[in-house]
Amino acid sequence: MYRYVIKRILFLIPTVLGVVFILLLTMNFTPGDPARALLGDSAPQADIMALDHKLGYDLPFTQKYVNYIKNMVVHQDFGVSYFTKQSVFDEIWPRYLVTLKLAFLGVFLSAVMGIPLGVYSAVRQYSMWDTIPSLMAFLLAAVPAFVLGMIFLFYFSLKLNWLPSYGIGTWQHYLMPALAISLPPAAMNLRFTKSSMLESVRQDYVRTARAKGASERVVIWKHALMNALLPVVTQIGLSLGALIAGAVVAEKLFSIPGIGSLIVDRISYKDEPVIIAGTILIAICFTIVMLIVDLIYAWIDPRIRAKYANKKG
Amino acid sequence: MITQILTAAKDLGFLYDLVIIGAGPAGLYGHRTVGLAAKLQKLNNIINQNPKEVSMKGKSLWLGLLMAVLMVGGSIPGWAQDRAIKVRLTGSLPSLDWGTTSNVRDQKVWHQMYEGLYGLDEGTKTHYPELADKVDLSKDKLVYTCHLRPGVKFQNGEPLKASDVVFSYERAMKNPSFGYITSHITNVAAVNDSTVKFTLDQPYYPIWFTFFSVKIMSEKEVRSQGDKFGTILNKAGTGPYFASSYTVASGLKLEAFKGYWRGVPAIRSVEYIVIPDDSSALIAFQNHELDYLEDVPATAWKEVSAYAAPNAKMVKGNNVMFMAVNYLSTAHKVLASLKVREAMFYAVNKKDINNAVCEGYGSETDQYFPTEYVTATPVSGFKTYPFNPGLSKKLLAEAGYPNGVDVGTILIYGTATSFNARMGEVLQANFAEVGIKAQLYVAEMAIITPRIYKLDYDICVWNGIGNFDFDTIGTRVSSKSQGLYVIKYKDGPFNWQRIEKLLDLGASTSDVTKRTAYYTELWSIVMDSATMLPCIHRPVGIVWSKSLDIGQPVPTFYKIRTFTWN
Repeated sequence: MYRYVIKRILFLIPTVLGVVFILLLTMNFTPGDPARALLGDSAPQADIMALDHKLGYDLPFTQKYVNYIKNMVVHQDFGVSYFTKQSVFDEIWPRYLVTLKLAFLGVFLSAVMGIPLGVYSAVRQYSMWDTIPSLMAFLLAAVPAFVLGMIFLFYFSLKLNWLPSYGIGTWQHYLMPALAISLPPAAMNLRFTKSSMLESVRQDYVRTARAKGASERVVIWKHALMNALLPVVTQIGLSLGALIAGAVVAEKLFSIPGIGSLIVDRISYKDEPVIIAGTILIAICFTIVMLIVDLIYAWIDPRIRAKYANKKG
Repeated sequence: MITQILTAAKDLGFLYDLVIIGAGPAGLYGHRTVGLAAKLQKLNNIINQNPKEVSMKGKSLWLGLLMAVLMVGGSIPGWAQDRAIKVRLTGSLPSLDWGTTSNVRDQKVWHQMYEGLYGLDEGTKTHYPELADKVDLSKDKLVYTCHLRPGVKFQNGEPLKASDVVFSYERAMKNPSFGYITSHITNVAAVNDSTVKFTLDQPYYPIWFTFFSVKIMSEKEVRSQGDKFGTILNKAGTGPYFASSYTVASGLKLEAFKGYWRGVPAIRSVEYIVIPDDSSALIAFQNHELDYLEDVPATAWKEVSAYAAPNAKMVKGNNVMFMAVNYLSTAHKVLASLKVREAMFYAVNKKDINNAVCEGYGSETDQYFPTEYVTATPVSGFKTYPFNPGLSKKLLAEAGYPNGVDVGTILIYGTATSFNARMGEVLQANFAEVGIKAQLYVAEMAIITPRIYKLDYDICVWNGIGNFDFDTIGTRVSSKSQGLYVIKYKDGPFNWQRIEKLLDLGASTSDVTKRTAYYTELWSIVMDSATMLPCIHRPVGIVWSKSLDIGQPVPTFYKIRTFTWN
């Protein structure tokens, strides 16, 4: 198992190299340059080219790639932002943590809301406990996060004055954006859990558990749910990636200084160091989350755990 | 007994009202503060509404309690004059160094921290000596001798010296973003500690705008911070505020400079908050989380202004949206025809543009700059192109295109829903009504700007903003312009030599009547060429808190030092 974990962590290296390659290549082919965005349209063309040269923007693609990897690996330096002239790491790290907080809160809320409701929906199929959550899931899956965010802002901030409308700092600041980005995936979790549970409760081992005299709670939550959780866990893991990407909408709407909005803003300035570093951090986070999802599989399903044990880790 | 209980209950109800009023700034409703005067008015109303229901003993007891709360509350940060004014930033401020960019949005913030030799009163279209006490001009109009105002200190406590002015100008002159206002300065030197001499390459009256734009910084502070200047807090300005906290992501906080030469401003602290989304900003304002909000979208103006009334004003913006037609287009040589260009101009319905872009709140215009803000702007005496589809069709027929013509692509920078895109759609529709076919191409600035630089376009929608002297038209029409000029007049079938001469003449004198006459002739040549058609000045919707007094609202360089709490 440990070898498997280490192997997966080492897999981060080609992932990072690939991300840097793809991003630099893409930005190499997109028009525009940082100097023009920084100096404005009254600056002479010669000065624009001089600044691009000073920033290293006009270097050949391969040289830029090698320089970037060397600085990152040898000096642990992500460079300096073209736009703010601040250290890229100092700029993105606090914003990265804000987005992670928001995304993880969103995942947590989507799981806490979606899974229990999905279970009840499956167990009480065709009843009110099924109809109402299924209808809500249907509606919420169709409504984009920014629409939900606007509704929350209007009611909870403007009309009721319960929550602040922008920024970070207290838990109240995170509540509305986290809800806005978590409700659509919660709806998906509910539907996934319901369909998985419906399959699971009809299995022979569930009938056996009941026949053995296990209580209904133990049958549902211990036997049926554990077997139904695998696809749900996959869905939750994938939704984290979607939430980190989707958080940019919430970040813009609620004026939260996260990494999604940072990357989007800096694209128009062609601030390559920030864009690359930000994307690398997101890619690392996503890879680690997928690893954790795999580990959760092993925890949930003893057969997977045994398979790893047989392979001597 | 029952009467006593009832009396006590009414007293408690009265107390509840007083506590809510008193707890306003620092309590549960901390983010929704109410001015002291408003609170006392509320209190007065409650007392008057409950003359019989609340016992006299109760009233005096609770009144005394409230006074104690208010006195304690007066010392809590965020109360009354210590309360921070909250202002929105539409995007991140990239730096605390004013020289980072000439972007007007950022300059508005730096304007609160730094000052130039001259100040600008946008409302009255006047400039005045600020850090310069007196300015002498040599007979040949090439040398400006500036005597610095005595007693001025930087925020770091250092006195303002001539060497700081020299340092600031030398720094600005090396900055390509400010070449368009410093290019005429050949030398700047300190005569003594309080006098600076500027030498120009030609008489240049609009130098006052350079004196306003170039902010003076403490050489000692800038050098001590080195490359970090702008990324960390500094006290390098002489302005009424200095930054006490700053993050690119969230915004910055300013504190009043106690040693400010005009005296400490009434508003002691300012909070600039980054709120990118317009809807969120409107909600924040209505939620009392913002005190001053400009650029209210025209679509929301009716509702927001009704809410903020009477503290709402829609002022004409210091900007212009115009259409440029490239007579040198190689893809569509038809644009070389003057009659075709004139036909295009007569086809444009500026009222439609106004409605589409600003819900009708804008100002249709024939002038490149708004006369309210820009000195020596021509008002009349040049050709205009009022909407006339019949004349447009006639001109097309005379040009040999009675059945219409394809004029190519209208280049637009921005998003598909931006002001420029909306104007582009109206232009396309107006052209179609007279038989002129045009496509739209909307793309990012990074894609559009290089094409404009190379004059690789047919038609474009462009903007001008933040100009205060008509001489700035030179950046668009002069062959000496270093940056992007949209239309190339040099060597064209126009009297471009006269344009350049008129620019020099206009800049050579301070006589506004003469300058206006020169610029009127210049603008007449441009309009006769049918290459640039100014369409509208977009408005700036400004709303502010009921507890705030901002004086006369201005569209660009508001001065927080002149604001006060009610």
